[in-house]
Amino acid sequence: MSTATINDSHAVGHHGDAHGHDHHHQSFITKYIFSTDHKMISKQYLITGIIMGCLGMGMSLLFRLQLAWPDETFPFLETLLGKWAKGGKLDPNYYMALVTIHGTIMVFYVLTAGLSGTFSNLLIPLQVGARDMASPFMNMLSYWFFFLSSVVLMSSFLVETGPASSGWTVYPPLSALEKAMPGSGMGTTLWLVAIILFIVSALLGGINYITTVLNMRTKGMSMNRLPLTIWAFFLTAVLGLLSFPVLLGAGLLLIFDRSFGTSFYLSDIHLNGVGALSNSGGSPVLYQHLFWFLGHPEVYIILMPALGISSEVISTNARKPIFGYTAMVISLLGISFLSFIVWGHHMFITGMNPFLGTMFMYVTLIIAVPSAVKTFNYLATLWKGNIRFTPAMLFAIGLVSMFISGGLTGIYLGNAALDIQLHDSYFVVAHFHLVMGSASIFGMFAGIYHWFPKMYGRMMNKTLGSLHFWLTFISAYLVFFPMHFMGLAGVPRRYYQFSLIPEFNIWMDVNIFITLAAILGGIAQLLFLYNFFNSIFRGPKASKNPWESNTLEWSTETKHIHGNWEGDIPTVYRGPHEYSRPDRELDYFPQYEIGDGEPEHYHAPATAPDTSYDGKKEKATTVFFSSFAHLFSLRRA
Amino acid sequence: MNTILKLTLKFTLAVVIIFSAATLISDSVDIQGISTEHLSAEKPWVGADEYQYDPGQTVTPEKTLSSKVNWAILVFVVLMVLVLANAFDISKYTAKITGRETVNQNNVNKWIMLFFMIAGFAAVIWEYQTHGAMILLNDSSSAHGVDYDSMFTITLVLTTIVFFITQALLFYFSFRYAHQDGRKALYYSHNNRLEVVWTFIPAVVLTVLVLRGHQTWKSVVYAEDNYNGKMHSIEVFAYQFGWKARYAGDDGIMGNVDYKFISGKNELGLAYKPEVDSLVVDLKKQIAADEASIKNLNTTILDGLMADFTAAENLRDYKNMESVQKEIDAVKNGDRLDELKASIKRKTKQIERILAIQNDKKLFASTFTSAAMDDIITQEIHLAKDSLVTLNFRSKDIIHSAWLPHFRAQMNVVPGMPTKFTFRPTKSTEEAKKERGEEFEYYLYCNKICGVSHYNMKIKVVVESQEKVNEWLKSQQPAFIKREMAPVAPAIMNDTLKTSTDTIQKMVVR
Repeated sequence: MSTATINDSHAVGHHGDAHGHDHHHQSFITKYIFSTDHKMISKQYLITGIIMGCLGMGMSLLFRLQLAWPDETFPFLETLLGKWAKGGKLDPNYYMALVTIHGTIMVFYVLTAGLSGTFSNLLIPLQVGARDMASPFMNMLSYWFFFLSSVVLMSSFLVETGPASSGWTVYPPLSALEKAMPGSGMGTTLWLVAIILFIVSALLGGINYITTVLNMRTKGMSMNRLPLTIWAFFLTAVLGLLSFPVLLGAGLLLIFDRSFGTSFYLSDIHLNGVGALSNSGGSPVLYQHLFWFLGHPEVYIILMPALGISSEVISTNARKPIFGYTAMVISLLGISFLSFIVWGHHMFITGMNPFLGTMFMYVTLIIAVPSAVKTFNYLATLWKGNIRFTPAMLFAIGLVSMFISGGLTGIYLGNAALDIQLHDSYFVVAHFHLVMGSASIFGMFAGIYHWFPKMYGRMMNKTLGSLHFWLTFISAYLVFFPMHFMGLAGVPRRYYQFSLIPEFNIWMDVNIFITLAAILGGIAQLLFLYNFFNSIFRGPKASKNPWESNTLEWSTETKHIHGNWEGDIPTVYRGPHEYSRPDRELDYFPQYEIGDGEPEHYHAPATAPDTSYDGKKEKATTVFFSSFAHLFSLRRA
Repeated sequence: MNTILKLTLKFTLAVVIIFSAATLISDSVDIQGISTEHLSAEKPWVGADEYQYDPGQTVTPEKTLSSKVNWAILVFVVLMVLVLANAFDISKYTAKITGRETVNQNNVNKWIMLFFMIAGFAAVIWEYQTHGAMILLNDSSSAHGVDYDSMFTITLVLTTIVFFITQALLFYFSFRYAHQDGRKALYYSHNNRLEVVWTFIPAVVLTVLVLRGHQTWKSVVYAEDNYNGKMHSIEVFAYQFGWKARYAGDDGIMGNVDYKFISGKNELGLAYKPEVDSLVVDLKKQIAADEASIKNLNTTILDGLMADFTAAENLRDYKNMESVQKEIDAVKNGDRLDELKASIKRKTKQIERILAIQNDKKLFASTFTSAAMDDIITQEIHLAKDSLVTLNFRSKDIIHSAWLPHFRAQMNVVPGMPTKFTFRPTKSTEEAKKERGEEFEYYLYCNKICGVSHYNMKIKVVVESQEKVNEWLKSQQPAFIKREMAPVAPAIMNDTLKTSTDTIQKMVVR
């Protein structure tokens, strides 16, 4: 038994392992600030992500106020924003800035760094059985680049002309020309610097995640025994590594255009108050191609970790093996590959050749197939389970619901013909907030509730957690569902005010309703914040494996040590989802437990109807995995 | 027996809650004959100016209805929050008393799952009926819009079915298979046949959608290929923050344009020699002024600014002081000098490029034709009903997007890259007014974030008979000449305009 192994080798491990000593002599700075321990770095990512999340959500509430009550004044806004809300009414330029920075923060700082950064850092070493990341120092750099990037981004609020305000996609020429809008001055420069720092952080992190997963798995942890979380983090890192450099290129060219007079994106422009610009020969559409070459994989960079987390959480709490592990992995691989060749569906009506539009439509709708497979597998996992509604499980179920609702509208938007009308309407806002925003943030919450005991050694309050879930879930639907209909009625996104146009003004009641629902959602997050920070200090002490889970991270002690395991790293004997095996008394069978000679997978007698399977297909999948493993020569005995 | 009784009780409770919620909603729907005073008294948070765009208009029943329903939903949500909070509170106390907690909360969550599913589906159906009635569907004002709407309907039906099935399974499974003591989950890790089935079914459905989508897309983007009737083309010009339309004049040919020719009197940059010449003169004057500024920057200009500052200081006009101080700083740290130098460079380049066109005989002849003189620039777009029109888009400054929601038409307007959208309007403004009310007008909206007034950048679109369009065009003033002096006078807006489509492709002269 693993516990026995750990106890036996305790003394040996303590001396034999170089990592074992460090934690005794750490100063405050090396432990909490410039820490190279992946668990501390993951907490740093999480706390920074939560702070950025609060800021991002706060901004959305501010501009929701404007949309709901365009003719009201809110004196507190002037107190808060000064000259940007003279007399308590939000300035149109600042509205744009809030929309832009809200998008940037949520996409990059919360859902990329806050989600992937937190859980990749925490779980990759713990779940593959490594003492730390491949390069702990690079890992530390990754966090500090992210932190610096956050500071630079937020500092743009202190600039006189305001932060970047040309939308989170910062399309040139609007973002390239200082005179086109105030936010395109210093604000956009800071935005670009922040994003470049962010890309550096993402790349440093990504290389580390990939290396750790490929090279540092413990004995017995073959690729087909990896928890789905690790598969998701691994593929996410690959996506990031291949796509972020393209955004870096796009950003650098934009900096050249802005500051050094080049014309990559500029041509034939006559700007009010300036006159005809000398720039000639560039193409604004080039930027859009480069941006969305990152931008689309980015959607999956955000979503896949959430899907991985929910797979793990659903399997654990339904007390069932995740249904179709192989199909889940293949789906992830399929999504990862396809995500690189669908970027054009953001550009159907940019004047791109219509034939190209056709091709992008085909591949975009193909990507719905692996997504559908994942959904059905989640449903099959819940079927005949023994579901424990922990807050994490609730959020994971919520994720599946959001993933379905938001995913289905993707079928409309991926269709070039339908996109003519839906492009940049509220329908798009509803779509991506459900499938990418809500689903991913639900995955993040699921992760936080599930691994909180591992991060802080204490339990979060379950009741508050459930309440938080239901309020967030309901308010998310109330906010985003009606937006579909607004979009279908022809209401454009990024409008500062709808009351000037009668046809949009009839949605005023709905706008008010949405804002009220958003405020409800904001209040619900206060419950979470209280629960989170209160539990860090005053939550009940957690046991070693509070969710009776199978994966490797629950074999570590609750108290964090540098190097993770006191003694030898445990060996892995089976896949991560062996729950409720009929040949075992307990309903879970940890990966690190030797057992009494049970087979790796339980095979029911052939007569049992429910578990019948196709022998041939089974062989094919085994071949698939072994070939994959041989390809990287990674399989360990 | 006991468990069945308990289940029935709980189920009844859930049904009662749902019904009372439904009654609450339907009750509020019934109240329609409500007076305006009452409404404004009830909605103090709306603000008096909300309906200012049309003060004469009384509040329509729809408005009353939806606002009432909003309130009902809000009350409903608050009630639900209270119920939830209560339920969890009870579970907390029972947990304290009995020392057991998990089972209780699990049951609460399980029942909320079911409740959420039923209430959620009811809400979705309500949304489809209420807000679904407000969407643009099956009322298209263009020919391809009919295809579009049927494509949309197919997708809507399919996705709605999938939505209800998958969500129902998700919440039903969550409810049905909630934890019970002593029960073990079914160990069922995979079934490859099942995987194949549910890979295959979506793949087939999506293939159907993709093929149908491909057809629709082709019919929209290659609209002119299979069309033999009348064709027009109009240039739609976008700038911060407005739109202009340009029609070929009496000669039926669109004149050439170039962004370098844009000036105060020549907003669209038409290739009209006298205007371009005066632009060059203007530019030269501006360069001279800039040069003079550079010369006097540190002497008279700075002194003047200092004097302004002192004056403002004496008046304690802090706002003015701040702005003057900024200018003084700009002069002192060299920013103003850089600006002036850049401005001179930019203008010199512009003159150089204009002269390059003028000095090249061939280019000059092909650019400065007489076609531009009688082009008509308008503040509205008038389209002839039932004839195919190509809108050729051109942007003056940054990316805009021309969206005509009622025609299911949208295209980005990109500086330096000509784009177009071809469609056939089939419903005149008059007919649309009959359907949508007297105040209704077609508009073309900007739908790409473009700056501070993005939210109010629109141009009126009028669809009427060919004769009326012609009449309207006659009443408009050509850009640079009087109508009597028009070069040639073939019938305007007829088949000959088809040739001008080619001209427009060569529009952007470098």
